[in-house]
Amino acid sequence: MKFLNDKALERLRGSGVPDLSGTRYELRELIARGGMGVVYAADDEKLNRRVALKVLDAASANPDLTQRLLREARVLAQLEHPGIVPVHDVGALPDGRVFYTMKFVEGLRLDQHVVKVDSLPERLRLFLRICDAVAFAHARGVLHRDLKPANVMVGPFGEVLVMDWGLAKVLRETSESNDTVFARFAKENPGDEETQATAVTGHGTVLGTPGYMSPEQERGETEKIDVRSDVFSLGALLKFVAAGTEGNKGQRLPRALQAICEKATAKQPELRYGSVSELASDVSRHLDGLPVLAYSENILERLVRFYKRHQIAILLITAYLVTRFLVLYFFHR
Amino acid sequence: MNKILLGLLLGTVLGAIDGGTAYFTPSVRAMIVGIVIGSTFKGLIAGIAAGIFARKVNSVPLGILFGLFVGFVLALLVALKQHGYYFEIILPGSLVGMIVGWATQKYGAGVQTKHA
Amino acid sequence: MSAPGESFPQTRLSVLAAARSGDAAERGRALDLLFAAYWKPIYKYLRLKFTQAPQDAQDLTQGFFAELLERDLLSRFDPAKSRLRTYLRVCADSFALNEIKAASRQKRGADFLHVALDFSAAEEELRTQAIDPASIPSPESLEEFFEKEWIRSLFASAVAELQKLCDSRGKQKAFAMFEAYDLDGEENISYADLGAKHGLPVTDVNNQIAWARREFRRIAMEQLHALCGSEEEFTREAKTLFGETAR
Repeated sequence: MKFLNDKALERLRGSGVPDLSGTRYELRELIARGGMGVVYAADDEKLNRRVALKVLDAASANPDLTQRLLREARVLAQLEHPGIVPVHDVGALPDGRVFYTMKFVEGLRLDQHVVKVDSLPERLRLFLRICDAVAFAHARGVLHRDLKPANVMVGPFGEVLVMDWGLAKVLRETSESNDTVFARFAKENPGDEETQATAVTGHGTVLGTPGYMSPEQERGETEKIDVRSDVFSLGALLKFVAAGTEGNKGQRLPRALQAICEKATAKQPELRYGSVSELASDVSRHLDGLPVLAYSENILERLVRFYKRHQIAILLITAYLVTRFLVLYFFHR
Repeated sequence: MNKILLGLLLGTVLGAIDGGTAYFTPSVRAMIVGIVIGSTFKGLIAGIAAGIFARKVNSVPLGILFGLFVGFVLALLVALKQHGYYFEIILPGSLVGMIVGWATQKYGAGVQTKHA
Repeated sequence: MSAPGESFPQTRLSVLAAARSGDAAERGRALDLLFAAYWKPIYKYLRLKFTQAPQDAQDLTQGFFAELLERDLLSRFDPAKSRLRTYLRVCADSFALNEIKAASRQKRGADFLHVALDFSAAEEELRTQAIDPASIPSPESLEEFFEKEWIRSLFASAVAELQKLCDSRGKQKAFAMFEAYDLDGEENISYADLGAKHGLPVTDVNNQIAWARREFRRIAMEQLHALCGSEEEFTREAKTLFGETAR
């Protein structure tokens, strides 16, 4: 057998690293390795900017996964929203592996970011930005199906980006509009329907992340997965975000917020919020000191909330009345 | 409703109410009309000033402080003119200024930008 | 039983499962696979660690594999506790220590092995690698050395298999270019140079080398899979084999 020297070993071991010759990109470094592919930082030599390049791991490249990666790129391309990572380009490496490039996000993962945010209202506002992006995707007929802290990036200016749409599901018609991703898919890719996507991911195949996966996802009931599955994941995400730092994990959340989390993560889809907008709306009401749909307050709680909402006005008016009373009482008895 | 108009209206109403409380001081009850008019006018000026401030500066604490300052100064001038009742005029007057300062920060429409 | 030079059998079961099989032919094939993959790394490792003269290291290597069979050491391996290569290395360590202590080593032949043991080639490789067996490296570096030799052995086997595949499909040019570019690593050789040499356009050179690389990885992964005790071990070893960092 041929003797392979150390340099040959190095080259052979690195043969999984994508060879970008012939493309406009220059490889920089590995960023992350996921279930389906590997993400590298690369430089776009034409536009002189850093991009993130996602490519199938050479060890696992096969036609099915190639189709999934292409599909992921196409789905992302249809979702233009400030909270969804934009895709720039798609192509093939010299070795035949498909890749796509997207915005290179400089920032922290959500789980790394929230530990630095002490204020609960600020963490909740961050959560609302995530909801915005997901609600937009739902309006375009796309479910994420893998929402979790590791799939949300927070940029240096607090901008939120929902990443890794590799498990995204394109629903059949969710609205009358022809502008859904499904409608475009059906027009441009006549064979590439949701059933094909299901064939790629497999009916009964369990996809998602434990702890953030809805019960119907855990059971592999892919036909029952709808927007409420993402609502479940967002509910779990809300619990995570609300807890914030490790030190807060044992602390009780405000009852209204707890009720929102419980409603969002109800085991039965019928008991959850019907949409991400409803969930976001309730969180927003909680932030504004208004009553939330998920929780019925008693009189005392209502009064406390009223006081908190109008605290300054109540204090100023009370100060005025007390002053007036004291002046009248002490100076003009 | 813009902040200046809000300040004007609220200042006027609160000034009138504040002036009206003089009714409970028997020694000045006879001059109640003058007191109410003066207090209303004081509230109006404070309200307009607070409204203008609120359009320039977006800060509830600073708005309250500004209202306190304006309310205090106007109440002081009135008290000096009256040669008395300093405590009874200045303290509530300052508080009315604070209330108007807070309200103009929290409510009312800000500056509208014109789009090209 | 596979003789040297024969096509590498596609083993459906892992080598461990096959080695425990009731089917003698299957068991023999599995053991051949195991010995072919490990004899050279074990030899070089024993040579370095115990600073044995080449003949003594040969005896130890053959003796170890005989011991492996006689005492059925593979049946005691638990994939949940360690990797197969670590287990074999530790067993080899233990065997060698005992043998050296006993100092009355029985010379054992290698008739039970159906794999060619070219010890002189292994010695030559050690010289080429400029490793001085007289200097004893640290335990960590010995482990790394064993790992590297194991990878070298696996890759060499995969390359040999790839060559056979290319021969059988009339893709000798593809192998020649893959060899020149990735194996021999001739200085400054480019796709254009290879194209000129083989009368092919650069795009064809690109595609053929890419094809050869893909096939090489596939073969290496198959062989690795056969040599692992569990899927988890295979996943870990695949990462070890092909590294994670970009150039």
